[in-house]
Amino acid sequence: MKRAKFKKEALMLLPLYLFTLVFIVGPLVYMVILSFLQRAETWGVTSEFTLKNYLDILEPVYLQTFAESFKLAIISTVLIMLIGYPFGYFMAKLTAKWKKRTMMLLMIPFWTSSLIRLYGWIIIFRANGVFDKMLMGLGITDAPLKLLYTYPAVVVGMVYALLPFMIFSVYSSAEKLDWSLIEAARDLGASRIRAFLTVTLKLTLPGLLSGVILSFIPSMGLFFIADILGGNKVVLVGSLIQNQLMKAHNWPFAAALAVILTILTSVMIALYRKLSGVKDLEGIV
Amino acid sequence: MRKVLASILALALLVASLAACGNGETGSTTDPSGAADNTSASADETSTGDAEGSTELVLYTWESMFPQEVLDAFEADTGIRVNYVNFDTDETMLAKLEAAEGGDYDLVIADDYIIETAIAEGLVTELDKTQLPSIGNVNPIYQGQFFDPEDKYTVPYGAGVQTIVYDPNAVDIEITGYADLWDPSLASNIGITSNFRVMNGMALKVMGESYNTEDVAVIEEAGKKMLELAPNIRLIKDDNIQDDLISGEIGAAVMYTSQVTMAMLANPELKVVYPTEGIGFGIMGMFIPSNAPHSDAAYKFIEYILDPETAAQCFEYLGYYCTNSAAEAYINEEYKSFLTLPEDFTGDTEMIQNISAEAEEAHTKIWTEFQAATGN
Repeated sequence: MKRAKFKKEALMLLPLYLFTLVFIVGPLVYMVILSFLQRAETWGVTSEFTLKNYLDILEPVYLQTFAESFKLAIISTVLIMLIGYPFGYFMAKLTAKWKKRTMMLLMIPFWTSSLIRLYGWIIIFRANGVFDKMLMGLGITDAPLKLLYTYPAVVVGMVYALLPFMIFSVYSSAEKLDWSLIEAARDLGASRIRAFLTVTLKLTLPGLLSGVILSFIPSMGLFFIADILGGNKVVLVGSLIQNQLMKAHNWPFAAALAVILTILTSVMIALYRKLSGVKDLEGIV
Repeated sequence: MRKVLASILALALLVASLAACGNGETGSTTDPSGAADNTSASADETSTGDAEGSTELVLYTWESMFPQEVLDAFEADTGIRVNYVNFDTDETMLAKLEAAEGGDYDLVIADDYIIETAIAEGLVTELDKTQLPSIGNVNPIYQGQFFDPEDKYTVPYGAGVQTIVYDPNAVDIEITGYADLWDPSLASNIGITSNFRVMNGMALKVMGESYNTEDVAVIEEAGKKMLELAPNIRLIKDDNIQDDLISGEIGAAVMYTSQVTMAMLANPELKVVYPTEGIGFGIMGMFIPSNAPHSDAAYKFIEYILDPETAAQCFEYLGYYCTNSAAEAYINEEYKSFLTLPEDFTGDTEMIQNISAEAEEAHTKIWTEFQAATGN
């Protein structure tokens, strides 16, 4: 009887397994195989096995793109953490009515395509744009600043795009927080700061870490932000892969880059699980 | 249950790897004789199969290649419904056409170099010129080029040259050629497109080399030259780079012909420069895929577009050089200077062609180095 029930459940999961196999495992395997093949003269690949694509990644110029991607991801994630953590933390302390309203305000921008919202930043940053007009109107500057197509513009775009993920994961952690524990710590003589560091931070750490993962990993791949707001001048792994695939016709090299990127991100997630002791992404799964 | 799943997984891996290998093999087929057989057979098939005439045309090209009025008029005149499918890059087009084995699409318009590859892959039908009585309207300057030396497969539809456009009010020097872009007074003031063969080509041209050199040492030399250009680059962008020139974000830009047309219409004070080092040239061509389901409709469409008045209407909309000499008389004076080659045009042009994989890899490498240098 029990066995029959188990079978039924397994059967119901079958479509999910099939979906995963066809749309996730299949392409991954395809990518790995492709990364070991040789490119053909002008188009496509030959079935010759080679390690050349992986060796090519060791060229300083390509290693540098990985470094650039990490640098941008780290800068963005730190800023997201600094803004997102207090935001999520204080949001959890709001009354139910205001929690809902804040949530709404955070969600509404998602109804618009992220690309269109990025174009909004162009209007703000461009020469004689909103920001320039404001600064000049206030008499702070007297000539248009050239803010668009600079590194800070890219960072602002990244922080803007990924901040909600940090806020939501910190919020979901902080909301579950048992505030009486902090009161107890205070009663036992801990200072505000000590109570925060030893109790609050520790209990919200899973949320913070999952926020870090949720902003760090996509920021490795969100190359269109660097393209649009940075004028294509910051070469990230994502844009390198796209370039190799679409413009240079070097599919195997693109695949090799993608494999390495996948491995790096997997390592990040493994590290996160080890650090936080949480098996899933808090608040998301 | 575990075992079952494990075996399904193993099976899936096997299937996936087989599929990958299969793909790899078709990707590398470049046997021209086999390709030719394939095309002639399919041409016979379509000509016998479409005795009554098709009622649909699947047109596969970039967005906004034809004014809507022309498409509507074609539908009204012939009763053939145009199904306009667009791609974003030539490479996407070729990948899809390859997956469809030259079927699904009836008429494709794409860039010269990718057409050369498509012909080599056997994906293009040899044109039956008897179905195109107006083929003589095509300007012979644009015919007999590397991608189709005998004009067997393609009819040109628009051509572009790489030009420098600058705003004399925002630039201190007079720009006459690519070499001027290296001038220190242009620091952080230039916009370029991301077509790396064209952009690295500027350095090659300044060095007096060919766009299509396959000498890796020369390409690397050009890479060093490009690094010196990096401080002057403010922006690398393909779409609507003319907007940044018009808004004053940049003072000079290297751009495509259609963008030049739009920039000049918006601000007639801008200056167009045909670089003294020589001019890079590109042609877009129409071709019928080898297994096009409605090739008869494709012929009717090409013939329709070859009509001088219709062509003039198309090129005014498109903003690329008019490849139809009979149409030039119908082009509005306002556009004429942008859509026809200048009278003092020396003809010192070179088309960018496919080069060896080794040379292309050298190009992508120096481009990535250059791009990284622009960010610092």
